[in-house]
Amino acid sequence: MFISFVISSFRSLTRQKTYLLINLAGLSVGIAAFILIMLYVTHERGHDKHFDNRHNMFRVVEVQNEPGVGNQHVAITMGPLAEELKHSFPQVKKATRVMPAYFVASVEYGDKLLREENMMVADPDFIEMFSVKFLRGNPSLVLKEPNTMVVSEDFAEKYFGTADKAYNNTIMLDGEGYKIDGVFENQTKQAHIYFEAIISMSSIENMPGFEWMRRWGSNSFVTYLLLDNPRDAEIIEAAFPKFIEDKIFSQDEGWQFLEMYLQPFDDIYLGSQHIKFQMVSGIGDAKVLLIFDIIAILILLIACVNYINISLARSVKQAREVGMRKVLGADRMSLVYRFISESFVITLLAILFAIGILEFILPELNKMLNTDFRIDFSDPSFMFGLFLLLLVISLISGSYPAFYLSRFQPVSVLKGGIKTHGKTGILSKSLIVFQFAISIGLIFSILMINDQMKYIKQKDLGINYDQSMFLFFGDDDYRKLDVLKKELMENPAIKNVAGSSFMNGVSGSQGAIYVDDSAQTRLTVRFGFVEPEFFDAMGIKMVEGRNFNPDIQSDHGGVVILNESAIKELGWKDIRDKRLVNAFSPDTTVNPKVIGVIRDYHYYNLKSLIEPAAYFYVPENFRGVTIKYSAQEKKEKIEDFIQTKWNDLYPKTPYQSITSEKYLYDSYESDLKMRTLFVAFAIISMFLSSLGLYGLTSLLIEQKTKIIGIKKVLGSSVSSIVLSLIKEYMYLVGLAGIIAIPVSAIFIQRFLDNYPYRVDINVLNIVIALTAALVIAFITIIFKAGSTANSNPLEALKYE
Amino acid sequence: MNTTMLKTTNLTKIFRTDEVETTALNKVSFQIKTGEFVAIMGPSGCGKSTLLNILGLLDNPSEGDYFFLDQEVSKFTEKMRANLRKRNIGFVFQNFNLIDELNVYENVELPLIYLGMSSSERKKRVEATLEQMQIMHRRKHFPLQLSGGQQQRVAVARAVVANPHLILADEPTGNLDSSHGEEVMNLLAQLNQQGTTIIMVTHSQHDAEYSQRIIRLFDGQIVNENIRIPKPEIPTQG
Repeated sequence: MFISFVISSFRSLTRQKTYLLINLAGLSVGIAAFILIMLYVTHERGHDKHFDNRHNMFRVVEVQNEPGVGNQHVAITMGPLAEELKHSFPQVKKATRVMPAYFVASVEYGDKLLREENMMVADPDFIEMFSVKFLRGNPSLVLKEPNTMVVSEDFAEKYFGTADKAYNNTIMLDGEGYKIDGVFENQTKQAHIYFEAIISMSSIENMPGFEWMRRWGSNSFVTYLLLDNPRDAEIIEAAFPKFIEDKIFSQDEGWQFLEMYLQPFDDIYLGSQHIKFQMVSGIGDAKVLLIFDIIAILILLIACVNYINISLARSVKQAREVGMRKVLGADRMSLVYRFISESFVITLLAILFAIGILEFILPELNKMLNTDFRIDFSDPSFMFGLFLLLLVISLISGSYPAFYLSRFQPVSVLKGGIKTHGKTGILSKSLIVFQFAISIGLIFSILMINDQMKYIKQKDLGINYDQSMFLFFGDDDYRKLDVLKKELMENPAIKNVAGSSFMNGVSGSQGAIYVDDSAQTRLTVRFGFVEPEFFDAMGIKMVEGRNFNPDIQSDHGGVVILNESAIKELGWKDIRDKRLVNAFSPDTTVNPKVIGVIRDYHYYNLKSLIEPAAYFYVPENFRGVTIKYSAQEKKEKIEDFIQTKWNDLYPKTPYQSITSEKYLYDSYESDLKMRTLFVAFAIISMFLSSLGLYGLTSLLIEQKTKIIGIKKVLGSSVSSIVLSLIKEYMYLVGLAGIIAIPVSAIFIQRFLDNYPYRVDINVLNIVIALTAALVIAFITIIFKAGSTANSNPLEALKYE
Repeated sequence: MNTTMLKTTNLTKIFRTDEVETTALNKVSFQIKTGEFVAIMGPSGCGKSTLLNILGLLDNPSEGDYFFLDQEVSKFTEKMRANLRKRNIGFVFQNFNLIDELNVYENVELPLIYLGMSSSERKKRVEATLEQMQIMHRRKHFPLQLSGGQQQRVAVARAVVANPHLILADEPTGNLDSSHGEEVMNLLAQLNQQGTTIIMVTHSQHDAEYSQRIIRLFDGQIVNENIRIPKPEIPTQG
């Protein structure tokens, strides 16, 4: 019996190739998109899951309210905090401070001299808290002594060849020896924190320049706590106000407002979009994942609805077969099995095609997104997921047609096709409205997101990053800045070399400045240390006053340039006679004079507002040089030249540079890539719902075959028939628009709210979306109805 | 030869739509004996097809009793009817109702599949029937590749392959030209001679002459039930 079903399904499917093609194309594209999104969201949600203690761990987050920046959540905390919390709260079992080892410019062993990016400093508790597994060394003894460190297996092999050789060996960090007390297993990058080497905290405690570690005024460490019981977090949080009062405010470090809370470890990766200064290797966004979830389900739903539509369209032709089978003794359930098994076979085919599509596009996508998504057939949960998908899709898409078709009474279908009673009419019309609503909503969303992306790309940042790069100094390298500049400028392709904090002009750290007035007005700013050439080279305009002049001795730390936001925040009309209280001058009696104001520019991406910034000329604080080069010369050639010069001049500092393209990618483009992906999925959904519309229109028109025939016999022209169909569709599209536009407008507004700089909802986009939906409808109608209406009326009538 | 194949008492069928109530059959009572060949005639809309559907267990009457092989079946559920139908009744339709996606062999095989017969048994039965209907050479063809007459032969083959007690034919020659129509009528007559009971709805007086009895319907009621002497000579196939 089953074989007979399969034979007739197969033959009827291959006979109606258009339907089969639409069904398969729709389902496989839908399934491919669904799997892809699932790969992505599961990857994102899988972060940090390998830390055994994660349910009992917390990160301390500060809520600050600083003049100039307002209320802000920051994940960095004071040096003494971890120890003090452990001391004050018995519920805290372990605590560790973590900080990237940004101060280490070179790692050296034998002939290997490199710069490492994934090194950090941590307390001994870190090892147990973060379940670091050791291959060599005793985990309970490491990170205790100064000038000791532990390294990952890869790190060990890179410098020493084997873990054994690395263990108990000594490696040079910035020329100072560090003993390797242990080698741990390589860490996964699927985490908010990633490290290849950990230096003991005690190593930096006595280093010059780290005195702030012992005070409560400076925030530089991430503090993690391990509690006995996660519910204790509430008890600790309740005691924080008193703790802050007693331990922090009493130290008179300038705090005016401070709150703290404990962020559950599990929330860090996906729930930290509102937190600044995280010092993490990566962060996700739960909101984006939710949007992707919705899109994935929508895509699958559309694909299933398409299948249903198309099956219903085919049902006109299949009704007679169903009737005849019933006459010959088939019972209803066996017919239900037949249609569900048909959808099972089609879904299975679609899944196979989908996997084919994925195998084809995944390598490209991985390259684009810098990811490593793979279809892993050996992963039982993936296979189970596929099986579940097969089951769910074939049931969802197969059961309605199955029950609908198997309901046909042989008496009514054998004589003349199915009667299209009211219920199916309303159903197919609601399905059409559903499909149109989704199409309209998606077109509108795509247009709005596109507008926003264009806006971000085109918005003048106020700083010109074209043809620029940044070279990172090591300790004391600033001393040879003049030589470096002179040697680099020998190459005519290099237009400018300016010592600076970074290529965006600021160092990243935030701090307070005090105005030299009676109230000692306090303002929190981003600090920037730059040479005078920097502003010009990067196209940053001076709006008032003058630039730094290295020839004037007092300009060395004794003067300051502010940005417009700072001036506005301070409520100043001009900068005449304005001074700050000493900040960076070696002579502590000097109160820096405000000598200039630069126009506001976006030193970070457009997702954040421009905060007040203060620029000083202090060469010791330059973290490197910003280089502007000519667009005429090849970038690779310039880089080769720069690297050669660098290696000659700084043999002990490994060459490290970042191009503006990379920097901009890191701060904007990854975000834009995500949006591009979203648009791609939206376009897929639209494509699918257009397919569905084709199926539905076919259904409606096949049901109208007889009416069309009668109308033609009575003398109606093809165009008037098509016109009346189009009129009918206009109402449906209108209804769909009324549903879709408000829903998607709310959704889009929420998306736009993420950007301080954003476009408004554009009515034109609504019009375009509605028109596009109508065009899709017209094309389908003319394509399908035209051929029906053009056919011989007798064909249509005989069919009944 | 004289057992009762089916018997109806006051069989009534009323169709209701939202506003209109139509009485398609009004207290129809008659009986048909095993081995009879009965023609049902009457003008369009008189209830012929409705009667045939009820007799064929495709539909239930609104009122009245229907005894099929001494079993009262008028209240049977669809499943029970389907079960009884597939064992005892074969159908021949005016528009053949072959399944386009199955070839001749598979179409004829279908009723046997629903009877749960083994495939070797099916093969034997289908081939024998195809031989009998002289369409063995067309066994691999699809319905749309056959002439109307050939299609109806396949339909007859399908109707008889399971050896039903009763064959219901609804205008079996309605879509055929006269020579093909003749062929089909001869087939039915031959089957009747071999013992199969046949009830045939027809407009054609010529076709009705093949039967032994004509039941005439008008407005849902029997107006005339005349017993005919069967045609003296029945040409043999071949």
